[in-house]
Amino acid sequence: MSDFELNRRGLIGAGLIGATMVGLAACDKATLAPGVSKADFAGAIKAMRGVVGDEWVFGDPEAVTPWKKNYIPDPEGRHVPVGAVAPKTVEEVQEIVRIANKYRQPIWPVSTGKNMGYGMATPATPGQIVLDLKRMNRILDVDPELGTALVEPGVTYQQLKDYLEENNIPLWIDVPTVGPIASPVGNTLERGVGYTPYGEHFTFQCGMEVVLPDGQVMRTGMGSIKGTTAWQAFKWGYGPYVDGLFTQSNFGIVTKMGMWLMPKPPVYKPFMIRHDDMADVPKIIEAMRPLRVSSLVANCNLMMSASYQLAMFKRRNEIVPDGRPLDDASVKKAAKANGLGMWNTYFALYGTEQTVAAIEPIIRAQLTASGGEVMTAAEMEGNPWFHHHATLMQGGLNLDEIGLLRWRGAGGGLAWFAPVAAAKGKEAEAQTKLARGILDKHGFDYTAAYAIGWRDLHHIIALLYDKSDREQEKKADACYRELVSTFGENGWASYRTGVNSMALVAEQYGQVNRDFNKLLKNAIDPNGVIAPGKSGIV
Amino acid sequence: MRRSLSRLLAAAAVLMGGSAAQAGQKLGDYLPQRAPEVVYAKVCGYCHGRNIGPILLGRKLPVDMITLVARQGRNGMPAFRPTEVTPAEMAALAKWISTAAPRAEEKGK
Ligand SMILES: Cc1cc2nc3c(=O)[nH]c(=O)nc-3n(C[C@H](O)[C@H](O)[C@H](O)COP(=O)(O)OP(=O)(O)OC[C@H]3O[C@@H](n4cnc5c(N)ncnc54)[C@H](O)[C@@H]3O)c2cc1C
Repeated sequence: MSDFELNRRGLIGAGLIGATMVGLAACDKATLAPGVSKADFAGAIKAMRGVVGDEWVFGDPEAVTPWKKNYIPDPEGRHVPVGAVAPKTVEEVQEIVRIANKYRQPIWPVSTGKNMGYGMATPATPGQIVLDLKRMNRILDVDPELGTALVEPGVTYQQLKDYLEENNIPLWIDVPTVGPIASPVGNTLERGVGYTPYGEHFTFQCGMEVVLPDGQVMRTGMGSIKGTTAWQAFKWGYGPYVDGLFTQSNFGIVTKMGMWLMPKPPVYKPFMIRHDDMADVPKIIEAMRPLRVSSLVANCNLMMSASYQLAMFKRRNEIVPDGRPLDDASVKKAAKANGLGMWNTYFALYGTEQTVAAIEPIIRAQLTASGGEVMTAAEMEGNPWFHHHATLMQGGLNLDEIGLLRWRGAGGGLAWFAPVAAAKGKEAEAQTKLARGILDKHGFDYTAAYAIGWRDLHHIIALLYDKSDREQEKKADACYRELVSTFGENGWASYRTGVNSMALVAEQYGQVNRDFNKLLKNAIDPNGVIAPGKSGIV
Repeated sequence: MRRSLSRLLAAAAVLMGGSAAQAGQKLGDYLPQRAPEVVYAKVCGYCHGRNIGPILLGRKLPVDMITLVARQGRNGMPAFRPTEVTPAEMAALAKWISTAAPRAEEKGK
């Protein structure tokens, strides 16, 4: 028996048979897209097999299982793909797009498909075939002098980092928290973030190759100039700048992407600022903003609540008994015991001995005045939370935060709610209050962080629930929708959202904006075959 | 003496060549098939053995179970598709995990 006691840490919960049944139940709900007949679907699958070979087309419910997994609440079973196809070349992508048009079969492109907490590889609407680009995993160019790279969609951050290290190229990558299994292309197209000074990923993107919905290949920026050497050096090209059209959208399939890489600085010094009260939110933001706007602090900071931090490495019932609300006093006690404050703000200095030594006192004075305790590696040696963030802020790899997924019960349920605010203390204070009220009402915890950008805040709220509990899944779904709607009524909307809420969030961004997107969609993809429902664009 | 030194060097070269071929990816080339220990280190081992996922090594877990759980994910564990860990890699990986010795440095239950 002992070999099968895998469920002790909760990740592998309910037993093999149970999980298989869940998989099959989900399959039953897989329905074809509107207007697609069984014959169309079969025709598309057959034609795709002709392009990529039998072994890379997955057309029956069981074979599609690996593409169905997601963490988001989906009580209606809407986000279930009906197939998957995995090309290896641009030409194969073009062929697949032509087939999709012929049979009106929608395809949902993913790069590495690890959009975890936003839907993973699953599509926004039923009946789509996942266009899985993970096999296109070539690193096409790295220029050590310019600090640039050109990669295919299936290249993971792990691959890129391995390449740089194996070849002694002193360039850093910048990772989202889940770097080893995610990709620069997938993350950048979602306008995701990381934690070095190159953390605003779309800002550091330079040049794309895109397969358009009619099957043509377009290169953006300088990429269509014969003989150019500047594709990865100059972002804007000539005429309208179009790269943004291919992020968070369904106007094309990105098959190559250029990006800038930060030279490894001579000195890297990570910091953690501890604040002791939940109510310290505005003080921290007010203290950090001038440091960020002036770029004295150049990286995207993570201001982590104690509950988010604890959820990474602890189980909820280690802090409070099951069924009890997560009260501040219990959290504070656990935080203290682990060297954490109620808010823990992480940033780093990058530079030379002289520049870091010159900036450090200014920062220390500012943050001490805000009531924070300024900690460095000297004080935090051996603390797993400090170690985690110190790794991230130099583009290092780990998956520590996957631990969040077992916070509650058997776990496996996570939906990110990520509203934007201007980097003002009062706004953050109001957002925290609003979020806590809604989460409390539905019986969920405020496990949240603020990513402090250049002038903005991404309020990153992890709605954690037990997905093995159907009732909790329904509650999580209702809670998520209320978060979106109520924040919207207060003038706050998400920077990005999961497949479960794309239309809902799109509603908040205005009729004219939606009509404009629709106009583009109709012109570029008249058959509507690329990722219908992405960002609410159908 | 000299002969044993050159033999040692030759063995080292083979070893290095071998490991580079396993881990290394050249510019413009697709990722070559990875050995099970490489997949374990670069995918599984970030959670399993680091207090995030349960320990796998040294438990003689059945090959079929490893494959099934890896392919469909379980609770907090994401699923790993055949495009991420190829069928050949998965077959070798599951066998390797099933027969691997425990590692003292791994943490978790
Ligand atoms: C614990 C945890 C921590 C996380 N931390 C972060 C974080 O710090 N920062 C962050 O940004 N995210 C974070 N995430 C969310 C997510 O896992 C990452 O953003 C991840 O990089 C997205 O997955 P991916 O890179 O595999 O992209 P994919 O899943 O491949 O792509 C995401 C989406 O982009 C579109 N897309 C992808 N490729 C293409 C293409 N080639 N052409 C057209 N459209 C395409 C599709 O709509 C697709 O669904 C976190 C998730 C978890 C669970």
